[in-house]
Amino acid sequence: MEQPFKINVCKYVGGDIVQFHGNIDADADRYFDDFFKQISNNRIVMDFSNTGRINSMGIALLLRSIKRIKTEKQAEVSIKGLNQINNMLFRMTGIFQLASE
Amino acid sequence: MAYMNAAGMNVHGFSLDSSGAIVSIPRLPLSLDGEDGVFEWRVTSPDDKEKIIAQLDRLLEGGDEAHDFLRQRAALMVDEMLENALYAAPRDANGKQLFHKGAKRAVLPGECITVRCAFNGERLSLEVSDNWGSLSTETALHFISLNLDSENIESDRAGRGLFFMWHFMDDFYVSVKPGEETAIGGALSLYPHLNETGAGNYGTTIQD
Repeated sequence: MEQPFKINVCKYVGGDIVQFHGNIDADADRYFDDFFKQISNNRIVMDFSNTGRINSMGIALLLRSIKRIKTEKQAEVSIKGLNQINNMLFRMTGIFQLASE
Repeated sequence: MAYMNAAGMNVHGFSLDSSGAIVSIPRLPLSLDGEDGVFEWRVTSPDDKEKIIAQLDRLLEGGDEAHDFLRQRAALMVDEMLENALYAAPRDANGKQLFHKGAKRAVLPGECITVRCAFNGERLSLEVSDNWGSLSTETALHFISLNLDSENIESDRAGRGLFFMWHFMDDFYVSVKPGEETAIGGALSLYPHLNETGAGNYGTTIQD
């Protein structure tokens, strides 16, 4: 059963953890503005442990949001919890040039 | 590079190396017609995408890491192929895209989108066809070369989905009968020879 998409932002001492649940595709677009408003730290960890498929539209959304976080929030972004294929996609598309592992 | 195929049709074919350069005239595209155990789904709604991926997932059952990675790749490929057929392929008379990705749409009367697959236990062949025939050779090649640029990280780079297909599938092919049909397909191995950035792809065929 497909997991509905949602983004949770959790605050911790060292920064914000952004957890992505479900598939990231064009349908996820409307949730990204909301999570951006919740970010208040200058250290962001994006957690993909509960993420399913990320297609090309999802990659575009992530690239856009990471760039926006870095420029508008002056924050550093790191990434964790990727499965094998999503790890490859992040390398292929340059996400790891913007965010550390 | 033009040659005649078995049906006497004039074919423009390209074979691309892993850097996207044209290296030779390729072999003809794969066809699922001759394969045993072909599964076929006719798409009647964009909502069918997840149902087809779920059925494909069950077809590729196996509890080891190799099967898990094959399921991940297969799901992504079908996702991209169907997004292409549902949103990139439909064009008006002026070539303008009819539907934007993420928009709600219905499959039009007469529109025919079909997913086919065959799995022999080690190799999964996949193909999605539509009856728009709107993709050109030049566009397909342009999209691949555009996405090989790893220096400039653009968020909304065109053709990223096609690039993923080319990158992950062996014997990737695009076959276009202009205004009639586009078929995109290729194969995924259970035990792929992948390097850090994806599959080396030496059997790519694009024909129209």
